[in-house]
Amino acid sequence: MVAVTVSQVTKRFGATEVLKGIDIQVPDGHFAVLVGPSGCGKSTLLRCLAGLEEVTSGSLTFGERDVTSLQPRDRDVAMVFQSYALYPHLSVRENLAFGLKLRKTDAATIKARVDEVAEMLGLGPLLGRLPKALSGGQRQRVAMGRAIVRRPALFLFDEPLSNLDAALRAQVRVDIRKLHDQLGATSVYVTHDQVEAMTLADVMFVLNGGVVEQSGRPLEVYEAPASRFVAGFLGSPAMNFIAATTVAEPGGEGLRARLGDGSVTIALPPRDGLGAGRSVDVGVRPHDLELCAQGEGDIELTVDFVELLGPEIHAHGVLAGTKVVACIETSAGAGIGIGAVIPLKIRRLHLFDRESGRTLR
Amino acid sequence: MGKRGIIDGRENEEPTARVPGPAYARIASLLVGAATLLSAAPASADEDAPIQLWHAYRGAEEDALAAIVARHEATGGAPVELLALPYDAFGSKLGASIPLGEGPDLYIDSHERLGDYRVREIVAPVGDAFEGEEGFRDNALAAVTLDGEIWGVPLSQKCVALYVNQGLLREVPATLEGIAALQPGLPEGVFALAYEAQGAYAHAALLGAFGGSMLGPEDSFGFVGEPAIRSLDLVQSLIDRGAVPNDADGALVTDLFRAGKAATAISGPWLAADLGETDVDYRVVQLPKVEAAGGEPMRPMLTVEAVMLSPHGAQKPEVRALAKLLASREAAEIRQATAHTLTARSDVPLPEGDAFLRAFADQAEVAIPMPSSPAMRATWEPANRAIKAFLRGELDAAAATEGARKRFDDVRRPPPPPASPTPLIIVVGLMLLYMAFGMVRAARSGDLGPALRRSLPAYRYVAHAVIAIGLLVLVPLIIGAATSLWAGRPETGHYVGLANFVDILTARGGPLLATGSFYLVLLVTLLWTLSNVVLHLALGVSLGLILARPTMKLRGIYRVLLIIPWAVPNYVTALAWKGMFHRQFGAVTGLIEGLNRAFGLSMEPIAWFSKFSTAFTANLATNVWLGFPFMMVITLGALTAVPGDVLEAAEVDGATRWQRLWKVTLPIIRPTMLPAVVLGAIWTFNMFNVVFLVSGGEPDGTTDILVSEAYRWAFTREAQYGYAAAYAVLIFLMLFSVTRLGEWRAKVKADREAAAVAEAVAASGGAH
Ligand SMILES: Nc1ncnc2c1ncn2[C@@H]1O[C@H](COP(=O)(O)OP(=O)(O)OP(=O)(O)O)[C@@H](O)[C@H]1O
Ligand SMILES: [Mg+2]
Repeated sequence: MVAVTVSQVTKRFGATEVLKGIDIQVPDGHFAVLVGPSGCGKSTLLRCLAGLEEVTSGSLTFGERDVTSLQPRDRDVAMVFQSYALYPHLSVRENLAFGLKLRKTDAATIKARVDEVAEMLGLGPLLGRLPKALSGGQRQRVAMGRAIVRRPALFLFDEPLSNLDAALRAQVRVDIRKLHDQLGATSVYVTHDQVEAMTLADVMFVLNGGVVEQSGRPLEVYEAPASRFVAGFLGSPAMNFIAATTVAEPGGEGLRARLGDGSVTIALPPRDGLGAGRSVDVGVRPHDLELCAQGEGDIELTVDFVELLGPEIHAHGVLAGTKVVACIETSAGAGIGIGAVIPLKIRRLHLFDRESGRTLR
Repeated sequence: MGKRGIIDGRENEEPTARVPGPAYARIASLLVGAATLLSAAPASADEDAPIQLWHAYRGAEEDALAAIVARHEATGGAPVELLALPYDAFGSKLGASIPLGEGPDLYIDSHERLGDYRVREIVAPVGDAFEGEEGFRDNALAAVTLDGEIWGVPLSQKCVALYVNQGLLREVPATLEGIAALQPGLPEGVFALAYEAQGAYAHAALLGAFGGSMLGPEDSFGFVGEPAIRSLDLVQSLIDRGAVPNDADGALVTDLFRAGKAATAISGPWLAADLGETDVDYRVVQLPKVEAAGGEPMRPMLTVEAVMLSPHGAQKPEVRALAKLLASREAAEIRQATAHTLTARSDVPLPEGDAFLRAFADQAEVAIPMPSSPAMRATWEPANRAIKAFLRGELDAAAATEGARKRFDDVRRPPPPPASPTPLIIVVGLMLLYMAFGMVRAARSGDLGPALRRSLPAYRYVAHAVIAIGLLVLVPLIIGAATSLWAGRPETGHYVGLANFVDILTARGGPLLATGSFYLVLLVTLLWTLSNVVLHLALGVSLGLILARPTMKLRGIYRVLLIIPWAVPNYVTALAWKGMFHRQFGAVTGLIEGLNRAFGLSMEPIAWFSKFSTAFTANLATNVWLGFPFMMVITLGALTAVPGDVLEAAEVDGATRWQRLWKVTLPIIRPTMLPAVVLGAIWTFNMFNVVFLVSGGEPDGTTDILVSEAYRWAFTREAQYGYAAAYAVLIFLMLFSVTRLGEWRAKVKADREAAAVAEAVAASGGAH
């Protein structure tokens, strides 16, 4: 129930700078997700928020309070660890009550709150057990419960689902979001799973190499990635990138892109300040490639491998010397096999500057 | 073998009579072989075997013996096999072999053991090995004569005399008081006389001047009455005048004299050997006279080394001939020339101008042969304690010596009357019957056959371990337990049932918390164990926590340094610490003096071993030093099992550093530490070395723990093995029940947890 402001935060471990000036704002009650590839500094940032690491420079503000140099226990945050970090020597009930006891809460309140949370998470029958007698999913719930029971102003999650199997992950993902809505506290959630990021976030921060590459609502970021990195990171299968050079439309106003080895050109929608002869990357999401009638396609793909996923088909092929994937509805694409040449319409494309990787709008 | 039975369970197909498998055959043949060997051993001892001669000589004395034996063989004597044994092990080796008809035909030992050996029948009268009284000194003959018969042929004599540092003292005063009067004129830090004032052996010389002796007539305690009191008062006055160091032991006397810090010293020929090549210009003279005793001379105890014959050796003429030769004039001359020892013969002239031997020879004339009665051994402990208690100022001389007499009489109290072995036989019989009954029942229930057959192959794998454990652990345990039902000396002992236990548990009829009573010693042992374990844990865990910190630099070096105390053999450490706690010359006193100098303080040096509290502290410090590395290592290991993120979770949950330690780290490592604590407690409970070597039970046996007390009953109090064994059994029972209790509680707890889990699983219907 606080707004979180991270401004100009850097963090170095010895000579290596892990966070290189992070600016983040999470409005009160929002669910923020930090995504990024492994090693980009997500956990480090989260641990800085928790107070487990000191920032090298910059400041952290929770609501009105500057917490930059406060101890973890004075920050009123709760954290759910990737490995759950349950107290192995305490029963589930004692695990839940631990933080409250340290804060000298009276016994009746502790019992009421623990029971309430146990009820909420379905932990009732497990209260007497030690963590070693729990399954992975149960441990995860206890870890959640331990955070919830404290009623903190801010929840921090560090990849809390990564140790669960796929089915359970999907279910708990939903539970977490529901709990958040129910409790109304601000949450910061770290993951490198872009599905979790997309589904959970009110606001999403894409980290890369210690800087925030882009932030915004998940769909905005998905739809309008600010850079080639963000575009490639979000979406599954990942966006197809094809190196290209812009050429003037022979005898026309617009521009075309000569793709890869130059064997294919496609028409480009107009872009501000884009002239001919620029080196660019053309990005097309696999789902933006649509099967069409022979001769109507923007491109033709020679299929060399097919994955059947049920609702859709992933057709892999080579376009102008670059590997490309297209996602086609199973009903439309029945009968596509290896060696087939399929015409595809490009529904939407993104253009990125080759040098900087920034999106050209 | 037996496989078919395992697979289809058709036991009736197994042949009923089995040929033993190869492994059993091997074991059986081994047993048979061992039996044959044992029975054949006496028979194989044929007539031509060389004469077995055991001794405890080293160095020049050993050379001299070898030379004499070589001459004997060269002149056509029977071949001789020499075996040198450590002096301390000598008696027990003789006792273990001679009664079986093995061991030496003859051996060389100190005369004071004769009484003991005679009772144990490991020595026989020398018969014609003794050539007649003419050639021997009277004192030497008196020493080996028991009830009018000669039991050993005297070789040499040893006693203490007075060493004089000629650099400090030109003229030696004739009296002890005269020597003490020199003190004011001596340089700072030099004592007029160094000797073991607190030891009964050295004190005996003074006692002798007053006409007393440690062992009185008819094996009564001699260190009482007028001579005891007056001799003690004299020592006190010598110490009060600063003429004699208060608590010197043998090593310190040597050091003081060698360093020129003692004008005179009372010691034996061994001091000369210890001094070796030294700058100190010294000579040896007879011990002074004592004015307070009317000018009588000090009369030290005399030890005579003699050839003794084992009963089987005494039968053989060639053995007796060898004994005679060893004691002959020629042999004595060789010994005197080679080893510079004082011969027991009167007809061997001393080398011209050898003042050293002359002095010891004169001294031996007035020395008193140490009584050879077995009761002599029981005088040392009470006499030593009485002297110490008196010099500490705890008791006056009369009370101290009277107390010593009581203690002596208590130790020498006749063993309990023989008890009827019937109850024991009935109990053992019932147990056997019960076992037999159980086996029959198991056999009849029909499970035994297949069960046995199934497990037989497994027994093959564990057989050697079972046999080894049985021999090394079970057999000694049973023998030890059985010994506790006997009383008296080993060879004359008899079955007394539980009388030893009754004696111990009733504190020998005295007050329950009297000095040396079982209960007081038990209390001290518990205090000892508890304080040690607490300090081991506190120190070990703290250091472990510090060393485990990731920010710690040079961790490896510290770890090795801190483990060193553990790696050094503990008796070495114990002796080093004892030295440090020495009142006059220890490192601790040095430290106090250093502090005094540096800060102008006036702290008194502490006499560590004269009060229970300080003596206990000294023991404790030593054992804590020895014990903390173990706990530290265990802690370091246990700490690796504490996940870092759990500590971080606690931090976020609001725990301070201190709360994280007490509520997270320590509870998590607790289960790993617990067995180590139990082990440490057991080790400490039985930490004989430290108690025995550092305080030695001082003052007055109050810092003794149960094991050291048991040791004293067995080895310094008349070899009361049964009584000592009863102590050992009680110690065993206590430790055993405590560990079982611990295991039982752990099991109950585990069961309760398991039940809770089962209940919860049932309740949750096995969700997730
Ligand atoms: N205590 C530390 N000392 C030195 N370097 C560290 C430390 N902690 C993290 N790093 C480095 O900082 C970088 C970021 O680490 P961080 O744990 O934040 O990554 P992450 O984004 O959480 O990755 P993942 O998705 O794999 O968990 C990594 O290169 C890591 O090696
Ligand atoms: Mg991480």
